[in-house]
Amino acid sequence: MTDRRLNAHHQLLVRALRDPPSLCNISNQDWELLLRLVRRARLLGFLAVELGNAGLLDKIPVRIANHLRSGLIQARKYQQLARWELDRVRWALGEDRGPIIVLKGMAYLLAGLPHAAGRVFADLDLLVLAENLQPIESTLLAKGWQHHELSAYDEHYYRAWTHEIPALIHRERETEVDIHHTLTSPIGRLQLEAAPFREAAVRLPELGIYVLSPPDMVLHCAVNLFQNNELADDMRHLLDLHGMLQHFSSDQPLFLDNLITRANQLRLGRPLFYGLYFCRLLLRTPVPNTLMTRLEQRPGWLALKVMQLCVPLALLPLHPDLPCRGAKLARWWLYWRSHWLRMPLHVLVPHLAYKFYLSVFPSKAANTASSRVTAKTK
Amino acid sequence: MKVEQLSLEEFRARLGSKNGLRIQFGPFVVRIQSFLPSLANPLYRLYAFYTLANDDIAEFHVQIVSKRSLRRPFTPFVQFLVDGQAPFPAAPVHHALTMLEWGINLAIAVRVNHFLLFHCAAVERNGHVLLLPAWPGSGKTTLCAALIHHGYRLFSDEFGLMHVQSGNFFPLPRLMPLKNQAIGAIRDFLPEVTLGPEIHGTLKGTVAHVRPPEASIDREDEPAIPRWIVFPKWTAHQPLQLEEMPRSEAFLLLASNAFNYEVLGEVAFDAVTGLIQRCECRKLVYSDFDSALVALNALTDD
Amino acid sequence: MVDWDGEFTVFQPAAGKTHFLNEMGLQVLILLDQSPATLERLCQLLAEHFSLLLDESFMQQIQQTLHRFEALGLVAYVNFSQ
Repeated sequence: MTDRRLNAHHQLLVRALRDPPSLCNISNQDWELLLRLVRRARLLGFLAVELGNAGLLDKIPVRIANHLRSGLIQARKYQQLARWELDRVRWALGEDRGPIIVLKGMAYLLAGLPHAAGRVFADLDLLVLAENLQPIESTLLAKGWQHHELSAYDEHYYRAWTHEIPALIHRERETEVDIHHTLTSPIGRLQLEAAPFREAAVRLPELGIYVLSPPDMVLHCAVNLFQNNELADDMRHLLDLHGMLQHFSSDQPLFLDNLITRANQLRLGRPLFYGLYFCRLLLRTPVPNTLMTRLEQRPGWLALKVMQLCVPLALLPLHPDLPCRGAKLARWWLYWRSHWLRMPLHVLVPHLAYKFYLSVFPSKAANTASSRVTAKTK
Repeated sequence: MKVEQLSLEEFRARLGSKNGLRIQFGPFVVRIQSFLPSLANPLYRLYAFYTLANDDIAEFHVQIVSKRSLRRPFTPFVQFLVDGQAPFPAAPVHHALTMLEWGINLAIAVRVNHFLLFHCAAVERNGHVLLLPAWPGSGKTTLCAALIHHGYRLFSDEFGLMHVQSGNFFPLPRLMPLKNQAIGAIRDFLPEVTLGPEIHGTLKGTVAHVRPPEASIDREDEPAIPRWIVFPKWTAHQPLQLEEMPRSEAFLLLASNAFNYEVLGEVAFDAVTGLIQRCECRKLVYSDFDSALVALNALTDD
Repeated sequence: MVDWDGEFTVFQPAAGKTHFLNEMGLQVLILLDQSPATLERLCQLLAEHFSLLLDESFMQQIQQTLHRFEALGLVAYVNFSQ
């Protein structure tokens, strides 16, 4: 598939993400649409950094630059809040709290990945040993953190079916702390041993905490995107993959080889294949064919065909003025797919029935706090 | 070109068109779209003096659309959308104007960080800005409406838009929503004022919008530096007081009421510090507009 | 840090927070910034500075302030034996 098979507004967006300098001569009309798309994709800060690095923020329409800068200021605020939350969690837990691995957005920042500089992320995700989960939870609860008020259903959903405890949030601050003890749902089709990820994790000496090793960071991102998420408006996660692949490859010439080997070792060929495939397709990430074919567990041609049709329509934002039935269908299908991958049927059907019931009778949800969690877990 | 230079029919057609009605509000351009017949008339009258921004980039795209409620299928509802998404629930159709105005303010408040956004009314006299911060019982909109019909230029009744690097405040003259008893009070005090329809049963009770004076809208691109910060409080049957406000208290009230103080971090801390150091800070207790005007005129006289 | 006639506003960059302090709160931070101290030593210095009586309730009050400052990340405990 080439760009020509993307919708016009998607072409505009991927061009902006891939080649920001090319934006210097687009029309005001295109800028207006692009700003709305970038906002929907939560990439204002990302584009602001990219244009700023190229020295171009003053060469684009000033109204647009103002909003990109506004988005960047917001993103930096989220980053500062998450950094401070990590500082406070480390303070609260003291020395004897076992190894803590920071995941996702905050980890990208700690690892100094260039693409993370303007990235938005609201939560602090931590991976701990299963046996430390309970003591960590009670220490934090004793030191001012609390759970959102959850309905009994949501509480059960979290503890039994997902790989997290309900998010913790300090009563004087706003950053959610998500504490995991595995990397995937314990009942999902893909079972991931956390042990190899822990063993390879990299210690950050100044903080005394860990981030995943470069190949594992890429794999975890791909698993999350193609195994856990519904992909709708998730373009920024594909940009994470793209950014990591570029940064780590420039650091280590054999990075991609090692990545493929590691994926095969951990039996994560499928999600990595999709990650590389869509990075190449949408962002032209340089990944040679010969490497792709070394991956085991590649999807069959039919599955790939369906994904190829649906994934771009879901990842990239809808046109804000022109609803598109095809894109809605694609998103609906990927929504089912993500649940199918995460839960066996006997859990999935009642879960979705309950969520549907809540969507018709929202007053039955215990309170607004629990409906926020519902939105996150749907 | 101003809105009043369009005919009502042309105005209605723009509202319903793909390109929408594009209005300049201070430093922002908003594209408004709606097919709702009942919205066009009051909007045409209240927006008469605004400039049409047809060729400029619009950074806010809002719509008022009809909506049917499953639970009340025979009551017409409307929904406010910004970039196709609904930030708050649908409301009865006669709330369309309040939803539109409130929705645009909300979009500005959550998206704009290239200004420090104070929650206050702002007016200008003798070349300098007088800030009237929002705090409980302030009635800032009402006092602001009285001032701008007595020689003060309207900046905004809701937003103090501070450009942090220069210390300048920018005008954002939007419709001014009077609530409940304030509607009658302003009708009595200012018979000449142009008011929108009374809209009953909103979250804040009955609301009617004051149209900003043409002269203020004509100068909406002229910023100015603040010199006075007055925290107003309306109290019935009280003699007028205009007294010194402790600066630390002014800091606390101004900072904690700003929309994006926390987001801007140290930049905002320095900006508020400088602002308070440069301004005279006062507390105003008043029970009638005439004496409040005399006191504020004396304060802002050259 | 800004002085408003005896009340102080302090910005803490890492937390992104503005704190409002009185003279006592500020003096605690200034003294601990100059050098770490035990609770006893700190209270002694504060009592001297403000010409106050160094009694049990004063020490309790300072201890509470320190707990609050610690949770806010304004001060940290250090181990003197090291």
